[in-house]
Amino acid sequence: MEQTVVKIQNLVKRYKELIAVDHFDLEIKQGEVFGLLGPNGSGKTTTINCLLSLLEFDKGEIEIFGEKMTPTNYALKKRIGIISQNVAVYDELTVYENIDYFCGLYITDKETRKKYVDEAIKFVGLEDFTKFRPKKLSGGLLRRLNIACGIAHKPELIILDEPTVAVDPQSRNRILEGILELNAQGATIIYTSHYMEEVEQICSRIAIMDKGKNIALGTKAELKKMIKNTETVSIEMQQPDEEITKKMSTLPHVYNVEYKDGKLYVYCSGGKHNLIRILGVLQEKDIHFGRVYSELPTLNDVFLEITGKQLRDSE
Amino acid sequence: MFWHNFKYEIITHLRVKEVIIWLMIYPIALGTFFKAAFGDIYDNDIKFSIVKTAVVINNTENGEAFKKVAENLENADDAAFSFIYTDKDDALKQLKDEDVRGIITVDDQLSLTVSSNSLKSTMLETLVEKYNLNAKIITDTAKKDPSKTEAVVKALSEEISTVKAEALSEGNTNMYDQYFFNLLAMVALFGTITGLHIAVQNQGNLSALGARKCVSPTPKSRSLIASLCGTYVIQSICMVISLTFIITVLRVDMGNRIPLVYMTAILAGIVGSSMGFTIGSIGKMSFATKNAMCTAVSLILCFCSGLMDASIKQKIAESSFAWFNKINPAAVICESFFSLNIYKDYTRYIQCVVTMIITSVVFVTIGLLMTRRRKYASL
Repeated sequence: MEQTVVKIQNLVKRYKELIAVDHFDLEIKQGEVFGLLGPNGSGKTTTINCLLSLLEFDKGEIEIFGEKMTPTNYALKKRIGIISQNVAVYDELTVYENIDYFCGLYITDKETRKKYVDEAIKFVGLEDFTKFRPKKLSGGLLRRLNIACGIAHKPELIILDEPTVAVDPQSRNRILEGILELNAQGATIIYTSHYMEEVEQICSRIAIMDKGKNIALGTKAELKKMIKNTETVSIEMQQPDEEITKKMSTLPHVYNVEYKDGKLYVYCSGGKHNLIRILGVLQEKDIHFGRVYSELPTLNDVFLEITGKQLRDSE
Repeated sequence: MFWHNFKYEIITHLRVKEVIIWLMIYPIALGTFFKAAFGDIYDNDIKFSIVKTAVVINNTENGEAFKKVAENLENADDAAFSFIYTDKDDALKQLKDEDVRGIITVDDQLSLTVSSNSLKSTMLETLVEKYNLNAKIITDTAKKDPSKTEAVVKALSEEISTVKAEALSEGNTNMYDQYFFNLLAMVALFGTITGLHIAVQNQGNLSALGARKCVSPTPKSRSLIASLCGTYVIQSICMVISLTFIITVLRVDMGNRIPLVYMTAILAGIVGSSMGFTIGSIGKMSFATKNAMCTAVSLILCFCSGLMDASIKQKIAESSFAWFNKINPAAVICESFFSLNIYKDYTRYIQCVVTMIITSVVFVTIGLLMTRRRKYASL
């Protein structure tokens, strides 16, 4: 049976009147890439900081690798790698020195450390920038340095808190590929983000947070099954008359039809061949239309249906 | 782990621009400026040297009496005056050419002509006033009790002939050196920058770096002590560079107890860094705000110790806040250099050193108490 790496029970964190984390439960198994998805201010980073024993919390229990996490549990801290939301490196040190410094907080043996530092540099692709100071690096390279500093000591649990904020698409892809590679090498990953595409792309299991609560938990498929929508058909066309929308609403598995921004949206729950039936209605009335899209539900749809708001709207 | 932190603390500080500017370049630049501004004043004007004086005798009888006194003054040990007997025109020419400092004209009384106000002019004024006063005493005595005239003349002649250059102490009396002591105190207190960096970079609620370090497996106390030691080394290097520049390049006389002067400078640097560590540990303000606080506090303390205006120190000493400069690190640092330069015995110097040690310990303790927290209420 897979070992439980992280166990959070009934975690509550208040900032005066504001409840940042509200009776939050979580269990992460070894080898998972676990996504913590939620809009900004939903409590993701606060949860991570409580998990790391950096923040005091009002209630709850936190265990990592079966041990209670405390600020002085240094043996446990050695097994964790943290890549924080804000880049935490020394401006005065070079890329190599920064990685060596942070690796040195975990690894005392010089030879091992040198090997690990070289491997981390190679892993994040900063071989050509080892003598650069952080200020000379682009946003993407800086994020990669931040990651290298967090993973150089080869931790068993890696926590990445929004590591792709303000990063170009090329660097973002490289970072996401790297995370999967670390996971393949045996590390358990906790990945927090408000970018649902990233979480969908790499995470095996996801918890969706809103207002400090864990509002949904499961695999991508499990989360999508929680909602009514299974397919959204959108058609570029002139605004149809009421007869057309009424007719479409009566089609099997169609539960909602709406026109907005030059497109007709038809929402379906289950069923097959929805697209053919919808287009059939238009052809029957000889209505011209442009491009047609059939989209499967996303995590944003899950979030929208559960909370009534878009993930990005909440930022 | 200790040496790892220590090594990187030193590397980091050596690359912090503020450290290079404020702790290395600034003292050298300001020291050079001080030397240019005050250096020659003392050598040319203040330092005791023989005051050349032209003497014009218009009254032969009085002139003979003055010559006897003048001869005694010239022949005294550490003689302060030398006299050239000449006519009025030549005397005025020599005064204009600055070959002499003043002209004493002997009529019924002595009168003095000087070209400018200076300490040497003041010495001449004192001499002339004293001579005229003594002459009046002798004349009055001769009128009232002629039998005592000889005894009075002898006594007064001996009194005048003992006028000579007397140093205030065994040490260096150049009052302008006080500015260099203040400069060293300021460099020491600018070390608050280095202490501030440590506090901010080790507190999880003050910087991302602090938070990152807090989640690492290095005990906070060990990390802080290693960082403080690194900072003390950097600060000491800066103090040694500044002091060496002042002594060897600017040729400022720091007395003959140089090893103790260096030790004092290093201790002063430790006081400065420790103070910065305390300021950095207080409250949850931004780095920029704390940096501004450090600069402001350093400048205020230096102002009170007389860096910008030497009279301030005296005014504070005379006020009901006299106690302040007894604990003001800038004043204590200046006082310790001054004591080493001026006093033969070590009583005042030891008092200053003990004050600096206690101040540093208090600062570090407050800083450690503030930063010891391992969990934060908010980040």
